[in-house]
Amino acid sequence: MGLVSAYFRRGWTILRSEVLVLPSRLAVLLFIIALMAVPLFTQDYYILRILILTCIFAIFAASWDLLSGFTGQMNFGHALFFGVAAYVTALLNLDLGFPPYLSIPLGAVGGVLAGLVVGIPCLRLRGSYLALTTLAFPIILTGLVFAMPDITGGELGLSGLSRLTGSRVMDYYLCSSLVVILGFAMWKITDSKTGIILHAIREDEVAVRSSGINTIRYKLLAFCMSGFFAGIAGGLYAHFMRLAGPSTLEVSLSFQVIIWSVFGGMVSIYGPIAGVFILNPLMEVLRVALGNFPSLPEIRMFIFAGLVLVTLLFMPEGLIPWVRDKLENECPRCKLRNVFIRQRCRVCDTSLS
Amino acid sequence: MPAPFLEIKELHKDFGGLTATNSVSFDMGRQEMVGLIGPNGAGKTTLVRLINGILKPDRGKVRFKGKEITGKKAYDIVNLGIASTFQNMRPFRRLPIIANVMVSCLSPRAMKRGEWVKKVEAKAMDALEFAGISDMALEKASTLSQGDLKRLEVARAVATDPELLILDEPFGGLSPAETELMAKSVARLHKGGRFGRLHSEGPAMIIIEHKLQQLMKIVDRIIVLNFGTIIADGTPQQVVEIPEVIEAYLGEGGV
Repeated sequence: MGLVSAYFRRGWTILRSEVLVLPSRLAVLLFIIALMAVPLFTQDYYILRILILTCIFAIFAASWDLLSGFTGQMNFGHALFFGVAAYVTALLNLDLGFPPYLSIPLGAVGGVLAGLVVGIPCLRLRGSYLALTTLAFPIILTGLVFAMPDITGGELGLSGLSRLTGSRVMDYYLCSSLVVILGFAMWKITDSKTGIILHAIREDEVAVRSSGINTIRYKLLAFCMSGFFAGIAGGLYAHFMRLAGPSTLEVSLSFQVIIWSVFGGMVSIYGPIAGVFILNPLMEVLRVALGNFPSLPEIRMFIFAGLVLVTLLFMPEGLIPWVRDKLENECPRCKLRNVFIRQRCRVCDTSLS
Repeated sequence: MPAPFLEIKELHKDFGGLTATNSVSFDMGRQEMVGLIGPNGAGKTTLVRLINGILKPDRGKVRFKGKEITGKKAYDIVNLGIASTFQNMRPFRRLPIIANVMVSCLSPRAMKRGEWVKKVEAKAMDALEFAGISDMALEKASTLSQGDLKRLEVARAVATDPELLILDEPFGGLSPAETELMAKSVARLHKGGRFGRLHSEGPAMIIIEHKLQQLMKIVDRIIVLNFGTIIADGTPQQVVEIPEVIEAYLGEGGV
């Protein structure tokens, strides 16, 4: 009994000293709790469906940030990884009868291979040239999909995949816990030694090379990791929608992910995730709220675009970094973050004003 | 006879119609500290870039410890033990200074397997301490002054634990007092015994520099380049008395 309470006290100390001291960490904790608690309040099919799709797109957006935000390899064709994984998952499930827990990871492996296929020709490209080249890949693959309707189902795509899990609530728990786990994994990657090198490649590739780092290997690694996480999102999407169609390769999906990430704040894994969780449900809310104005069917796109423009005008770094800078100050001495109400740094006791 | 530490043979590079280095050849020993001087546009920077693999030579060979390294990738050459700094500093501006150096510490040469992040950080701090900017380790590199950026460049090169260190204008943009300090620490580095190993050998060095007074004090051999060819090679005292060198530096009819 004493042991249990000792562990409990230890856990509480860690929670208080590491998590509760910063609003951003508290916000992450509250977000995870809220995400897990949603089915307790509503089990409405429609709401859960929106949230599941939001979770899937959040993984997708974070994987884009890993490649384009951190490593600086501007990818305008990120839907390729999503689509390849969706198709691979669908083919494995339909033709070979693999269950979701096998077909989704194997689909993600398909995403990794797609990352290699895109990454190798793009190694020498930079900036806008890289962006244009990556943009071409999903378009090429769409053409191939249409050219081989026997395998890929053509315009209709592959439908009739088995369900993700037995019930909608279980689907929801699977996707929401994956968003937390994979988001944490991606954040941990960017926080590691590899992450430092990826950061440095974005800043100046020649200087990294003359520091003795094989940049080719790290760039390919970034493409593969990004393809893997995007692939998991694609596989989840295919199994959840029970459909893998050409819409998963659309250019609009590639740009959607950029809008989400830039809105939420690039070069931070949590930024794109938050961006998706704000913008995607907002679109659905607007759809319901504006349902009374059938004369203006697409006004919600107009509102959406205006919102994104205004946000980026006033918060050029994105929404989440802006909010975080309002709530937290950086200690000038030890560079640790503190709540804005504190007068002195919580670690080194330097005056913050 | 053992192969020379660094052997450069007939190294030739043209940029369009301009000959940057014209069949340059020289040898260098493990213990040497060589100054490379010459007027602007003489091909000094091109020569070191041919050695460290950023540029590929049109003709000629570079051998390092008896092994041919011509045309190898820049990062492979660094991992063989040749580190160099850039003349115009290229820091990772949005990263903290410590992270700038940690990138070098993460190269395969500097990394021993199974080391934890803390140890890499300690190694990076060691390099920063050598360069004299360890107190600013957590600042962003974009906040540094010119002189401190030079020190950061040196710290980054030193962190890869090189056997041959090529410094491209390490005193450029430094005040006289800072130059003095930098010259002292470079000389100390050449003597060896740092990075926690008491009896380690310091790296051999090639230093490109325009501040001759400071350079003369620390180097034991000077090579003078002009229009891509070596016009003098010898101890500092010998070199300054050669008429061609005086002419190249001060123009015809100078002094």
